[in-house]
Amino acid sequence: MLLRQRLRSRVSLFCVGLVLCALASALLASCSSGSSKRARTGAVVRVTERDFRIAVSPARVHAGTVRLLLWNKGPDTHELIIVRAPRGRLPLRSDGLTVNEEALAAVETEEGQSPGAVDELRLDLKPGRYELFCNMAGHYLGGMRAVLVVT
Amino acid sequence: MRRRQAFRPFVPRGRRAVAAILATFAIFSAISVGLSIWSTSRSQYKASVLEVAARQRTLAERYVKEVLLARDGVQANPTYVAVLLEQSSSALLDGGTAPAVNGDDDETKLSPASGSEVRGQLRQGRRLARDLTAVGAAVLAHRSVTSVELTAHEHLIVTDPIERLRVLSALTSNVSLNAARSIATADDRNINNLITIQIILGVAGFLASLLLGWALIAATLRQAAHFRSLVTSSTDLVLVYGPGGCRYVSQSVAKMVGREDRELLGDELENFVHSEDLASLRTACAHGEPAETVFRVRNRFGEWRHLEAHVTDLRASRRIRGVVLNARDITERIRLQDQLTRQAFYDGLTMLPNRALFRDRLQQALARSARSSNALAVLLVDLDGFKQVNDSLGHDAGDQLLEAVAERFDATSRPEDTLARLGGDEFALLLDGAHESQAVGVAQRLLEALTEPIWIAGRELVVGASIGIALHAGGPGLGEELLRHADVAMYAAKEAGRGRFELFRYDMARELGELLGLEHELRLGLQRGEFTLHYQPEVDLENGDVVGVEALLRWNSPRRGQVPPDRFIPVAEATGLILPLGEFVLRDACRQTAQWRSDGVLPERFVTWVNLSGRQLSGAGIRSVVKSALDDAGLPAQYLGLEMTETALVHDGAGWERSQADLVALHDEGVRIAIDDFGTGFSSLGHLRRFPVDMIKVDRSFVQGLEDEAKDAAITANLVTLAHALGVLAIAEGIESDGQLASLRGLGCDLAQGFLFARPMPAGQVGKLLSGSFGDLFEPASAVA
Repeated sequence: MLLRQRLRSRVSLFCVGLVLCALASALLASCSSGSSKRARTGAVVRVTERDFRIAVSPARVHAGTVRLLLWNKGPDTHELIIVRAPRGRLPLRSDGLTVNEEALAAVETEEGQSPGAVDELRLDLKPGRYELFCNMAGHYLGGMRAVLVVT
Repeated sequence: MRRRQAFRPFVPRGRRAVAAILATFAIFSAISVGLSIWSTSRSQYKASVLEVAARQRTLAERYVKEVLLARDGVQANPTYVAVLLEQSSSALLDGGTAPAVNGDDDETKLSPASGSEVRGQLRQGRRLARDLTAVGAAVLAHRSVTSVELTAHEHLIVTDPIERLRVLSALTSNVSLNAARSIATADDRNINNLITIQIILGVAGFLASLLLGWALIAATLRQAAHFRSLVTSSTDLVLVYGPGGCRYVSQSVAKMVGREDRELLGDELENFVHSEDLASLRTACAHGEPAETVFRVRNRFGEWRHLEAHVTDLRASRRIRGVVLNARDITERIRLQDQLTRQAFYDGLTMLPNRALFRDRLQQALARSARSSNALAVLLVDLDGFKQVNDSLGHDAGDQLLEAVAERFDATSRPEDTLARLGGDEFALLLDGAHESQAVGVAQRLLEALTEPIWIAGRELVVGASIGIALHAGGPGLGEELLRHADVAMYAAKEAGRGRFELFRYDMARELGELLGLEHELRLGLQRGEFTLHYQPEVDLENGDVVGVEALLRWNSPRRGQVPPDRFIPVAEATGLILPLGEFVLRDACRQTAQWRSDGVLPERFVTWVNLSGRQLSGAGIRSVVKSALDDAGLPAQYLGLEMTETALVHDGAGWERSQADLVALHDEGVRIAIDDFGTGFSSLGHLRRFPVDMIKVDRSFVQGLEDEAKDAAITANLVTLAHALGVLAIAEGIESDGQLASLRGLGCDLAQGFLFARPMPAGQVGKLLSGSFGDLFEPASAVA
């Protein structure tokens, strides 16, 4: 009787341990970043944002699938909007501080990249002139604009 | 290896477990509360940062307006706004007080910003604010705006000063709001993490307390099992009584009584407890007193077991609420006690009560009598001739005789009387409520019970008894006294001739007291050598020669002085002391005679006469006693003569035949034999003829009446004639006058002894006397003494 009780206590202790282990492993799993892997095909363009400039390298690529690797080097938060646009200043909104996106057909809009964030965009680009800019208030006028030419 | 305690006390472990549970909860709660406090303060900080960031935006826009107004010459204070901008952007970055902007908001205290990302943004914000005010200052000073060096890496694509101001203002407010948003986002993340941590903590705490609680319960169960097994496997019986009767019985009780536990619960006592013990047990169960109680329980085999219970009153205890009986089976102990009591209070041979119990019963009867004034009687019975049976037939026969007698007495007495064996051949009977007539009746019945012969070892024995009766009229009395009275009466009965009973009278006591004292002194005197022998010469009447002496015992008691033989010989006879005394006389007489012989004073045919009592004769081995006395002294047998009375000779006791044979054998070896006090006893000439007698001694009562009483003279003459007819010598004793001497000589008597010739004298004087003779003198010999 005593033996059986002791055995039962061992078993239950084991069960509790098992539950605790499962919890801990779940925690660890959630902590480790699980970014999905994407196919690494097409031209790669590095787009580096910083206050207040956008660097695109290379600035010319062939049409087709283009992988844009974004890196906001800060210190502020930035957006990245890609529009197909002719040479010249982009139209501004009435506040005179932001680009009138609605008037342009944005190819891609990546919003609110916090400083240090990295992202990858996969775009199917036709040949043409593309302008990349940050449309936070004053950022475009502050110099955050770059040109990508697709041939 | 560490020795484990067989049983570890539970309480400290239980306390430890509870403490662990509480500690776990306390730690987890503290962590949780700490996290909550921290997150609250972070929320407040977040709100403040958002507010200040919003003000930053207001300030930047206001600055632009003020600059424009000032440029247009309107009263404005852009410098003040610039200071506020600087202050609030610095407060956002490094902590401090952010100034109030409008009348309806307050100064806001901020702690330094944390996190490199946020700090980078805020630092950028301060740089932009400074660039804004620098550009503003250039505008007001009408300097070239493009020449102002910008510190925040702006690559402005507008050149108009106002445009530039507005872009910089937008950048400034934008970066502040972005920083505030970053803080808010980080905070949200923190709160999410916090919630997760708290959930984990909660679950972990719950599991930990579950585990500890389970351990606690398991330990409690183990403990309970431990105690249960201790209680149930114990042979002690445990019962708990509450208001509704029995509330708990241990398995041992159920096992003993042979019923299920539940059958014993409630008020079922009378089903297994002895009815006599029921009341006291119920009292103990109801009141918790007395602390010990003994009761009997019928076990499953139907026999009564004695239980001794310790009663513990735990009615006040919350857990028990009853009286606990802790009982042990003491049947064996009680059995042993009974056995010991029997041994202590009963005689092992006859199974009758012994002296101690008899005394006790007597005390109780006297105590009752003191209350009720009831009469009672004590009978003391002493068997006559038991010692002879023991001596001649052996102790086994004696024991059988005692058993048989006890049986007969027991059959005679009523059940309510106490018949006891006090020791030896002494029995006592206590008759409660008996008066004289009843006591006498019982004594007669006891004597009658012995008239029928008893068969022991193939022999038919008749024993008599002497009974002393002491009566108690009622009222207070002393048991010892009553027993002593019965004892005195019994002695009186023995003295009066045995085989009878006597009622105690007070005048008996005095006589007997003296007698008993005498017996004790006799015993002591024998040990201390207070006895000596004197010798009275016996003279040949023909020529006056001394032809023999009679050895006479003298007792010189230091307390009583010279004690005459007729005073102590009966006591010695009655008590059996006559045997060692007689042996002493035989040995001393033989030794002395041998001494005279070796001194050369002893004439031929000289005989030293020694008296033998009937007790000596009937006792075993008179022949060996005489022979060893002769051999030790080195005396030829013909110098020794044995005198005995007619009564002793014809006594028809158990050893009579053997003693007769012994005498014949001794006579054959040369020892002389004389009949003492001839004519006074119950003479049986038939017996006399069969005995090898050498001499007949005419009693002094006849000799003394020789001169005056014609009848005595005739008897003496006949006795002398009879002696001569039987061919034996005649001797007259107690001759005191010449006239008596003359008469005896005329009758033809052979020998004489008496004061006329010589008084009994010490051995030394006899030696001197033997050298002379009474021959020609025949004068009063008083001069010799």
